[in-house]
Amino acid sequence: MTAPTGTVDLRGEPRRLRRELRVKRVFLAAAVVSIAISIAIVASLAGNAIRFFTEVDKASLLDVGWFPRRSRFDLLTPIAGTLVMSGIAMLVAAPLGLGAAIYLSEYARPRVRRLLKPVLEILAGIPSVVLGFFALLWIGPNIIVELLNSPKPATILTASIGVGILVTPLVASVSEDALRAVPQGLREASYGLGAKKSTTVRTVVVPAAVSGIMASLILGLSRAIGETMVTFMAAGAVGGALRTWDPLDSGTTLTAAIASVATGSDQVAGEALAFDGVFALGITLFAITLLLNWVSDRFVRRVREKY
Amino acid sequence: MASRSEAIDTAAIVRQSLHGRRFSPGGLAFELSLLVMLLVSLAVLVTLLADIISGALPVFRDRGIDFVTSGITLDSATAGVWTGLVGSVGIAIIVAVIAFPLGLGAAVYLEEYAPDNSLTRFIQTNIRNLAGVPSIVYGLLGLAVFVRLVDLIGLGGSASTGGRNILAAGITLAVLVLPIVIITASEALRAVPDTIREAGFGVGATRWEVVRHHVLPSAAPGVLTGTVLALARAFGETAPLLVIGVATGFFSAGSAGLFDRLTGPYTALPVVVLSWSRQADPAFKENLAPAAILVLLVVLFAANTAAVVLRNRYDRKW
Amino acid sequence: MLTKTWTALVLVLALIATACGGDDTSGEGDGGGGAGTIVISGSSTVEPISARNAQKFAELNPDVTISVEGPGTGDGFKKFCAGATDISGASRAIQDSESEDCAANGVDYVELNVAIDGLSVLTSINNTAVGCLDFKDLYALIGPESLGFDNWSQASALGSELGATHAPYPDAPLVITAPGEESGTYDTFVEFVIEDLAEERGQENAARLDYVASPNDNTIISGIAGSDTSLGWVGYAFFVENQDTVAALAVDDGESGCVEPTSESIADGSYPLSRPLFIYVNTSKAAAKQELVDYVDFYLSEDGLASVGETGYVALADYSETTGAWANR
Repeated sequence: MTAPTGTVDLRGEPRRLRRELRVKRVFLAAAVVSIAISIAIVASLAGNAIRFFTEVDKASLLDVGWFPRRSRFDLLTPIAGTLVMSGIAMLVAAPLGLGAAIYLSEYARPRVRRLLKPVLEILAGIPSVVLGFFALLWIGPNIIVELLNSPKPATILTASIGVGILVTPLVASVSEDALRAVPQGLREASYGLGAKKSTTVRTVVVPAAVSGIMASLILGLSRAIGETMVTFMAAGAVGGALRTWDPLDSGTTLTAAIASVATGSDQVAGEALAFDGVFALGITLFAITLLLNWVSDRFVRRVREKY
Repeated sequence: MASRSEAIDTAAIVRQSLHGRRFSPGGLAFELSLLVMLLVSLAVLVTLLADIISGALPVFRDRGIDFVTSGITLDSATAGVWTGLVGSVGIAIIVAVIAFPLGLGAAVYLEEYAPDNSLTRFIQTNIRNLAGVPSIVYGLLGLAVFVRLVDLIGLGGSASTGGRNILAAGITLAVLVLPIVIITASEALRAVPDTIREAGFGVGATRWEVVRHHVLPSAAPGVLTGTVLALARAFGETAPLLVIGVATGFFSAGSAGLFDRLTGPYTALPVVVLSWSRQADPAFKENLAPAAILVLLVVLFAANTAAVVLRNRYDRKW
Repeated sequence: MLTKTWTALVLVLALIATACGGDDTSGEGDGGGGAGTIVISGSSTVEPISARNAQKFAELNPDVTISVEGPGTGDGFKKFCAGATDISGASRAIQDSESEDCAANGVDYVELNVAIDGLSVLTSINNTAVGCLDFKDLYALIGPESLGFDNWSQASALGSELGATHAPYPDAPLVITAPGEESGTYDTFVEFVIEDLAEERGQENAARLDYVASPNDNTIISGIAGSDTSLGWVGYAFFVENQDTVAALAVDDGESGCVEPTSESIADGSYPLSRPLFIYVNTSKAAAKQELVDYVDFYLSEDGLASVGETGYVALADYSETTGAWANR
C-alpha cells in the first residue's frame, strides 16, 4: 500500500521499529522451540529404534513373549497388553464419564453443577502414581482377588480398572463441555414439539454434541494408552510377559515395559539390544497417540465449525 | 364421521403430549441410570480418598507436622517426605523458569504476531500434538538428550551422577508442560478484545508497546492460571523422572550446598510414594505411602485452588 | 489490581524459595562438580543393608549426598562397569562377561562379602498341602519344561520322571511370582536349582517364561500371599518381614533332607540355598573420593555390620577376610 504524497510518515522512528523487529524475532524463536522439541523427540526415538530394527533377529520380533533380557522381543505382547488394558479402561471410563457428564449438564441443578464441575476438574489432576498405589493395594486385593476370585492380585485387569478411574474425570469434564456447548435453542425447540426431557437429551442434545463426546472418548483412550505408572505398579509382569489377551493374566504394556527397562540408565542387564528395544516401543506408542490426537482434533474442529 | 373422530383424537394426543404424562418410567429410568453413573464415579473417588486418608491418619495423628519436615529414613517411625518435597519444589521452580517465558513468548507470537500462513498453522498443530504425547516419551527424550546435554555443559555433577540430576529433570518436565502453558496462555490472550489493541494502535503505539502495556496486563490472570496448572502437572509426574534416573531408594542430601543439590542426585515426592509402596516393612505401604500421597494431594489441591481463585478474582469479563 | 497479582506472585515465589532454602543454611558443599556424593545401586536384596548404612553414615556426615537404589544385580553391574555408580550390591558373584565389561571401561573394583542370605522359597501361609520340596520338585514346577503348568498336578509326571521326592503334587492352582532376569536372586535360583538338571536334559538354563516376574519384592510377596497354593522365592529378609502373609517351604538338596531357612541354618550352611551377599566398590573412585572410603570403612565397622542383622540377614562368622580385602584394595 503506497501512501499518498503529502501525508505525514506515521511509521515512527527507526529505533522503535528495529526494537519491534528484535522483539518479534524473540517471540518467533520461542514459538519455533516447539518444533525443535518435536524433531528432538522423533530423532531420539527413531535413532535407537532404527538401530534396534536393523540389528535384531527378526524372528525374535514374533516370539512367545516380551522378554528383552532373554532376547525375545515380541512386540505384539506389549501392544496386546496396551490394547486390552486401554479397552477395558474405556469400558469403565466411558459409561461413568458420559453418564456423569450428561447428568451434570442436563439434569443437575445449577448449584450442584457449580459444586461438582470443579471437583471433577481437580480429580482429573490426581497424579497417576496415586492411582497406581490404589490399584496395587486396594483394587488388586479387594476386587481382583476377593470379588473375582483370581489367584493373582497384580493383573492387566487391575491396571485397567485403575486407569479407567484415572480417565473418568477427564472424559466427564470434556464431554460435559461439549454438551454445554449445544445451543439452548435446540433443547427449547425439542420441548416445543412436545418431547420429553429424556427424549430431548437422547435424540437432540447428545447427537448434537456427538463430535465433542467422541473427542472426549478418544482423548481418554489416548491418555489411557499413554498412562505409565498405574500399569507399571499394578499389571504384574511388566518387565517380561508372555503374549496374552486374557485380562486376568499378569502382563505388560508399551509404557510399563519402557519404564521397567529404562529406569534411569541405558545400562541394562542381558541382551545388548534390550535398551534399544525400549525406543522401538516408544516410537510405536508415539505413533499410536499421534494418530489418536489427530483424529480427536478432527472431531473437535467439527464442533467448532458447527456452532 | 370417521374424519371427525380422528380430529378429536389428534387434539387429545397433542394435548397429552404438551402436558406430558406425570409419570414417565422410561425417562425416569434414564435419569436414574445417569445419576447412578455420576454417583458411582464419585463413590469410587471417595473410596480412593477414604482409603488413603484412613491409612495416612495415624501418621499425622502420631507425628503431626514432623512427618512433613523430616527426611527420608528407613524406619517407619521417623521417615518423612521433606527430601521429596524439596526435590519436587526445586523441579517446579526450574520448570517455571523455563516453561513460563518460553510458553508465554510462543503464545504471544502465535496470537499477536503470527501471519496466518502454513508455518503458523504447522506450529499450532504441532503444539496440540505435543500436548498429547505420553509423559514417558518425554522421559525417553530426557534420557537421550537432556541428561547428556546437562553432563556435556559441565553441570552433570560427579561422574556417578552423570547428568541424572534435578537440572535435567527440570528441563525434561518443562518441555513436557510447555504445550499446556502455550495453549492456556494463547486462550488468555485471545480473550483480550481487539478493541484494546486497536485503541493502542490508534494512538501510535507499536505492536510490542500494545502487547506489553495493554494486552499482557489484561491477560495476566489467565496466563498465570495456566502456568500454575502446568506446574501442578509437573509436580505430580513420576514416569519421566523414573526414566531419567531419579533416586528411587534411600536418599539423603544432608546439608549439601545449592550447587551440589542442583547437580547431584535428587528425588521427588511422587517417587517417594512409589518407593515406599515397595518397602519390606508393611508400615510403609499401609501408612507412610498414603501419608505421602496426602501431602502430594494437598499441594496439588492448593495449587488448583490458587488457580481457580486467581481466575475468578482477577479475570475480567469483557 | 494487576500490581496486586504480581505482588502476590512474587510473595508466593519468595515463600517457595525460603521454604526450599530452609535446610541449606549449613550448606558447606564441596562444590567443584558435585564432590561429596556416593551413588549405590545393584541388588535389591543387598539394598536394605546398604541403605541402612547410608542412613547411619549420613547422620554422621551430613555434608555427603548419598543415594541407594536396587534395580537388580545384573542391571547394577551394567551401571557399575560403565562407571555410573560407586558401589554395586550383588546377591551373586560378578560374572566373567561383567568383569570383562568393567575391565574394558577401566573400572577396577574390590569384592567385599558382607552377609549371608538364604534364598527363601515361599508359599502362602494358608498352604497346608506342601511343606517341603527338593531341587527336582522345584525343577519340575519352575524349570524350563514346566511352561504352561497352572496346576501343581500337571508337574506330577515330570516330577516322577525326575525321581522327585514329593511327586505327585496336589490338584491345586499354581501361581508363581518371583524376581525377573535383572535380579541376582533369579540368577542364584537358576544356578542352584535349575542349571544341573537343565544341562543334563538339554534344556534352556532358565526358569519357565510364564511366571509373574517383578522387580518389586513387595509385589512378589503380595503375589505369593494372593493365592493359597502359590509359589515364589525372595531374599530371606523379605520373608522375615512378611511372615504374617507368607510361609517359607523347607528345601531339600537331595542329600541332607528338608531344611527350613532360619538364621542358624543359613549361617552354618545347612540350608541348601544359602548364598553370600557382596558389595563391589569402585577402587579408582575410592582413591579419588574420601567420602567413599569413609562410607566403606563405616560399612565394615561394628556399627555398620550391625545393619546386617537389623535388616534380617545373617552376619558372617568372621569378617577378617572381608576387611583384609578392603585394606588390600
